Amino acid sequence: MKVQVLQENLQRGLAIVGRAVATRATIPIISNVLLQTEEGKLRLAATDLDISIVAWVGAKVDEPGATTVPARLINDFVANLPAATVSLEAPASGRQLRIECARNDSTINAMDPADFPRIAEIRDGVAVKFDPKALKRAIERVEFAAATDDSRPVLTGVHLKSDGPRLTLAAADGFRLAVADIQLEESPAEAIEVIVPARALRELSRLIGDSNLPVEMRINPQRSQVLFEWDEVQMVAQLIQGTFPNYNQLIPAQFNTRMIVDVDEFKREARIAAIFARDGSGIIRLIMTPGEGGMPGQLTISARADEVGGNEGKLDALVEGDASRIAFNSRYLQDVLNVLGSGRVALEMTSPSAQGVFRPVDENGVPEPGYVHVVMPMFVQW
Amino acid sequence: MVDTATVLHVDLDAFFVAMELLRRPELRGRPVIVGYPGPRGVVSTASYEARRFGVRSAMPMARARELCPGAVILPPDFSWYAPASRAFHAILRSYSPAVEPVSVDEAYIDVAGSERLFGTPAEIGAAIRERIRAEIGITASVGIAVNRLVAKVASDAAKPDGLLRVPPGEEAAFLAPRPVRDLPGVGRRTADVLAGLGIATIGELAAVPESVLEAKFGRHGADLRRRALGIAPGGVASALPGRRSISREHTFDRDERSAERLRAVLLSQAERVADDLARQQRAARTVVLKLRFPPFETITRSATPGRQLLFADELYDTAAGLFEAAWEEHGRRPVRLIGLGAAGLTERARQLALGETPAPGALHDAVLALRERYGDAVIRRAAELPGPPADAP
Repeated sequence: MKVQVLQENLQRGLAIVGRAVATRATIPIISNVLLQTEEGKLRLAATDLDISIVAWVGAKVDEPGATTVPARLINDFVANLPAATVSLEAPASGRQLRIECARNDSTINAMDPADFPRIAEIRDGVAVKFDPKALKRAIERVEFAAATDDSRPVLTGVHLKSDGPRLTLAAADGFRLAVADIQLEESPAEAIEVIVPARALRELSRLIGDSNLPVEMRINPQRSQVLFEWDEVQMVAQLIQGTFPNYNQLIPAQFNTRMIVDVDEFKREARIAAIFARDGSGIIRLIMTPGEGGMPGQLTISARADEVGGNEGKLDALVEGDASRIAFNSRYLQDVLNVLGSGRVALEMTSPSAQGVFRPVDENGVPEPGYVHVVMPMFVQW
Repeated sequence: MVDTATVLHVDLDAFFVAMELLRRPELRGRPVIVGYPGPRGVVSTASYEARRFGVRSAMPMARARELCPGAVILPPDFSWYAPASRAFHAILRSYSPAVEPVSVDEAYIDVAGSERLFGTPAEIGAAIRERIRAEIGITASVGIAVNRLVAKVASDAAKPDGLLRVPPGEEAAFLAPRPVRDLPGVGRRTADVLAGLGIATIGELAAVPESVLEAKFGRHGADLRRRALGIAPGGVASALPGRRSISREHTFDRDERSAERLRAVLLSQAERVADDLARQQRAARTVVLKLRFPPFETITRSATPGRQLLFADELYDTAAGLFEAAWEEHGRRPVRLIGLGAAGLTERARQLALGETPAPGALHDAVLALRERYGDAVIRRAAELPGPPADAP
């Protein structure tokens, strides 16, 4: 193999595939990155066997071939090279990589590229095209609600479902549930219902960045793998097998109290309360009081810790229905507020020991379609 | 030279009575008793005037009436006393973080390190007394010594409305002339046994050879003699609110080598600790296991599982895991003492799960209610019961 590639292109490509490199590898080769010529380009690939990422970098290929070297080493090395043309050269065996750039010359011991795991290519199966901004936003509003422990594997994933011009993403960790819709330009050719590892979507959202290029998703006919493709990048993830809980019944349709408040103000007060909550049991208490006689309603946000002290903040709020109170885990409350952006949020609830339902709303209090977040409260002594 | 007598015992004088007199000044100078006047009522607090007639705390009310027919008897009104009690403890905490509350009207405070800010321990004691008088309107007595034991005896000796400092090194001399009953930990039964030996004062107790006391009182004999000399652990358990811990310990009469028996003790301790947590409306973040191998090798191990621990099962599971590892590590040697503690106490709360309708800890609440009413033994786990005899089928 003999190729020439611009340092900045190589660095960017390595950074992209680096997200899939195994950190605690059981087999050494998956800590590596595969470099391979393909149709006049340099193909970079990495995998931790759950997630694989492939990136194509523009290159001048003088001699086709392949090699595989430790990802961390080549990443660190290339990141420090000057912005110039990098020449990569490997013998036919692929067992050594020589890198020349400006007046820097180095060799890296490489492994046999034939041993690198094969990364699936998904050409058939049902496909969906996404606007990258809409996809990224939906992922960010949902993935954090997925479970982080493996006790129920399906909950570590995000449930994707579509049977029309809309795709619904849902994640739940047993204590909270996030559901977001994405409008599609075209309905998929067949109904979709799969569970994608939350980690894969998190990486996807990060890699999409502020790209404007559409993202295509393909699910293989065996429903075992999903591929996301955009620009010159592909990500393949193993789907999680199992049945996702039927979550629609967990979103209450009724409420006794509905409060609307400015998201940024709520976020600020929740952040302050969290400072006190973190040294106690992590509880933030909300008390909602309807307005009377032309006075605005009020939201009181408070937290206390035995060792530290207490805090109470008040916000003007529109409160419909009964005066009410509810206590939340401070992290769960902050997580949902953080993904709502700015604007206004409605909190709907029926009792201090039943779901709190968060919905972004417009100026008139009308829910923005396409997102709902349910958080179970903490059962506390008031 | 640094003054090592930094432990203060601060005790409000006839607290409940003093509080009643605040709002009924016309009763000043008369014998006043606070306590429920009913047939099964007992004396909570008696004024010094009533004490002159022989009325004492915990005495049946009927007996108190006999001794002091002219006494004014008032039922306790805790909602009136509670703010004053809180103010009292707050005053103490403003002088040192090491405050160990004993009850509503009594606490230890260690002022080591506070001298630069507030003066000598005696000056701090005087300031505390003055602030209690000015801010609450009642009087307190203060004892100052190198340890809690002597400080407590000193404050009793200073009562009412006094301050007494026992200089370091003079503990034994201070205690010597006092009757043995003045020594904390000496109850009527011990005093009776001592009287049988012709011992009436603490000084006489201190002079008895340890072997004699051990013959009479077993392991506690040596301890009794040390206490009579004024020797006791020094410090005040730093009791910053929330940094408290709740624990139970058990010392075996014979070193225990059965894993099953050790686990059973641990389970029973978990039950008691969980009950205490429930009573205080607290949850634990950390479980501490304590093991002592003879003669004096003591180890502690702790675990913080990252969630609230409320119930005996949760405490036990964590403690049992610690026990297995620690015991294995020490070659499964016989155990002299085993203890289980809950630390990192926080507000009791439970994260509800999606789809859950809470009936939180209904069983635990019911068990706790039974124990509150009838004592710990009313309901027990089968594992806590003594096993069947070895030859049982």
